[in-house]
Amino acid sequence: MIYLQVLANGLVLGGLYAAIAVGFSLVWGVLNVINLLHGSFIILGAYVAFFGYALFGLHPFLSAPIAGFILFAIGYSLQATVINRVIHAPVLMTLTLTFGLDLLLNNAMLLAFKADYRKVVLEPPLGSLFFGPIVLPLDRIAVMILALLMTYGLYLLLRDSKLGRAIIAIRMDQEAAALMGVNILQTQAMTFAIGAFMAGAAGSLLSIIYPISPLNSITFLGKAFVICVIGGLGSVGGAIVGGITLGLLESLTALWFGPEYAVPISFALLIAFLAVRPTGLLGRRGYE
Amino acid sequence: MYGRSFKFSFLAGLLITSVVPQLSFAQDVIRIGAPLPLTGPLSPEGIKQKQGYDLWAEVANSKGGIKTGGKNYKVEIVYVDYASNTPRAVQTAERLITEDKVNFLFSPFGSGATKAASGISEKYGIPTVAATASSEQVYDQGYKFLFGTFTPNDTLTEPLSTIVTKRDPNVKRVAILARNDLFPLAIGNEMEKSAKKRNLDVVMFEKYAIGTMDHASAITQMRAANPDWIFATGYINDLILIRKQMSDLGVTAPIVTMIAGPAYKEFMDASGPLAENVSSAAWWHPAVRYDGKGVFGSTENFNKVWEQKYKDTPDYAQASAAAAGEIFQLAIEKAESIDPKKVRNALADLDTTTFYGRIKFGPTGQITSLDPPVFQIQGGKPVVLFPDYIKQGELKIGVK
Repeated sequence: MIYLQVLANGLVLGGLYAAIAVGFSLVWGVLNVINLLHGSFIILGAYVAFFGYALFGLHPFLSAPIAGFILFAIGYSLQATVINRVIHAPVLMTLTLTFGLDLLLNNAMLLAFKADYRKVVLEPPLGSLFFGPIVLPLDRIAVMILALLMTYGLYLLLRDSKLGRAIIAIRMDQEAAALMGVNILQTQAMTFAIGAFMAGAAGSLLSIIYPISPLNSITFLGKAFVICVIGGLGSVGGAIVGGITLGLLESLTALWFGPEYAVPISFALLIAFLAVRPTGLLGRRGYE
Repeated sequence: MYGRSFKFSFLAGLLITSVVPQLSFAQDVIRIGAPLPLTGPLSPEGIKQKQGYDLWAEVANSKGGIKTGGKNYKVEIVYVDYASNTPRAVQTAERLITEDKVNFLFSPFGSGATKAASGISEKYGIPTVAATASSEQVYDQGYKFLFGTFTPNDTLTEPLSTIVTKRDPNVKRVAILARNDLFPLAIGNEMEKSAKKRNLDVVMFEKYAIGTMDHASAITQMRAANPDWIFATGYINDLILIRKQMSDLGVTAPIVTMIAGPAYKEFMDASGPLAENVSSAAWWHPAVRYDGKGVFGSTENFNKVWEQKYKDTPDYAQASAAAAGEIFQLAIEKAESIDPKKVRNALADLDTTTFYGRIKFGPTGQITSLDPPVFQIQGGKPVVLFPDYIKQGELKIGVK
C-alpha cells in the first residue's frame, strides 16, 4: 500500500514540477535563451501572492494572474530593451546576461523582502482527501490542476492564435518567419513575457506549498533545468512529461534507497540525458 | 636657504600630521575580523551573526570602548563576505589576519566552516571566538586559540529525552529525519544515542539531501513506522516544509521535535497553527535570566537594547554573536593587554557571567557552563521547559 501512496506523491509532485518548468522550457526552446532569471521570477510571483494575502486577504489562486501579468510586463521590458540586443549572439552571451540580471533581481528582492523564509498560511487550510490509506493533500492537487490548466491554455495559445503561430514559426525557421511578415523582435519579447507570466503565476500558486525566500530561487531554477532536459525543450508536453518523470523518480528513489539519494539521482539523470538523449523524452517536437 | 628650510619644515610637518595621528589612531582601535556568509544560501544566518556583533560593538563603543593596559580602545569589526562558500571562508580568515591585520577573529558560520578556518587562526596565533559551532569535532583538534559559545550537541538532546520520557512513559518508538549536513546530522546522531540510552526504539533514521523540495516519501515511510516521537533536523526552510507535509499526509505523533527551526519567529509565522506543540532546544532563549558582568549587563537589558535597535526579539544565534563580542571584551580587559597570547590565556581562564549565561570554557575551548533551554511552542509562543530555574510550563503531549 505504501507504493500507492508514494506513486500518488510522485504524480502530484510531478504536476508541481511541470508548473515550475513550463515557462523556462518555452523560452529556452523558442528563443534559445537559457533564462537564469526564471527561479527569481517564480519567487517574485510568490511574493506577490504572499503580500496579496497578508495585506488584502487575496487568495493566492486569485493573485496568480496578477503575479503573472506583473511578471509579463517585467519580462517583456527585459526582452525588448536588453535581451533582444544580444539575442543572436552565442548562447553563452545570453546565459551571462540573464545571470547578471538574475543577480540584480535577486539582490533587489533580498533588500526589499529580506532573506527570511515566509509562506502563505491559508486560514482555514484546504486539508487532505483520504481514499482509504491514500492521502492526497488538496492544496497540492489544486495547484497541480491549476498549473495544468494554465499549461493547456499556453498550448491553445500556441496552437490557435496568430501570436502562437508566429512563435512557432520563429522557432522553426526565423528567417522564413521574417520573410512571411512576422515581427521577430516583438514576437520574441512576447515569448519571453509569456514565459515570465507562467513563472510568476506558478510562483503565486506554489506560495501555499513551499517556504519562499530569494535564496531558494536557485532550487527552482535547478529543477526547471533538469525537467526540461528530461522532457525535451520547447514543448508543453515536454515540461509535463519531464515534471512527472522527475516527480515519480524522486519519490521512488526516496522509498527504495532513502531520501538522501532523491536529489543526486535527479542530477545524475540530467547528465545521463545530456549524454544519451539530449533532446529529452519528447525531443523538439511538441508545439508543431 | 630659507626655501630649503621651509620645504624641510613643510615636509616634516606633513609627515607628522599625516603619520602621527594614524599611529595613535591605530593604537586606539581593536580590530576584530568577521568572515561571514552575507550572501548566498547561508546569508540569513550570516546576517543574524552580524547583527549580534554590530550591537556589541555599538554598545561597547558608546561606553568608552575596551579599557585595557591603561588605554581605551575603540572596537572596529572588519567584515568580509565569503558568499556561503567554505573554502572562501578559510581564505578570508587568512586575508583578515595577514592583510587587514586584525587583532582577533570571530569564526565563520557553523561547525563546518569554523573547523575549516580554525587552522588559520591557530597558525597565526590569533584568538578566535566561534559563535555558532557546536560539533565536538571542531574543538577536538588540540588547538589553543579557538573558543566556542555553543555546548556540545548532546546537551540539546539529553535534557529533551529526559523530559519526554519522564512526561510520557508510553513514548517508545522514535523516528529521526535529518538533513545530511554537518550540524543537522550531528544532532540527529546525538538523538539516536540519547534514545538508545533510554531503551527507546529508533524505528526510522533517514537522511535527506540539501536542496530537497519534497519530503513526501520519507514522511510516508514515517507514517508506516508509526512513531511516538518524530525528531526532524534541518534549517528553517526544511523544517517548515517537513511540518507542512506531515500535516498534508495526516502524520501525527505525541511528540514532534524540530531543531533548529522553531527557535526562530519565522518558523512560527510560516507554519501558523502547525507550529503548535512542536518542541525544540537551543543554546539560549530570551526567557533566560542572568545578571551579567559585561557591557550588556542583565539578560533583560540585552533583550531591551536588542529590541530598541532591531525591533525584534533576539534568537540564540544573534545572542551568541553578541555574547562572543562581550566575551572578547571581558578577556581583553582581564588580560590588561591586547597581546594575542595574553588574551588567549585570559579566555582560557575566564569564569564569569554574561547576559548569555555563565562563561567557562573547557580544555578543548568549547564552553561547558551553559544549560541550553528546551522549549515548546504553546499558544503560538515558545514556552521554556528546561532548565528548571527558568521553566515556564510543562511539556504538552500531542501534535496534530
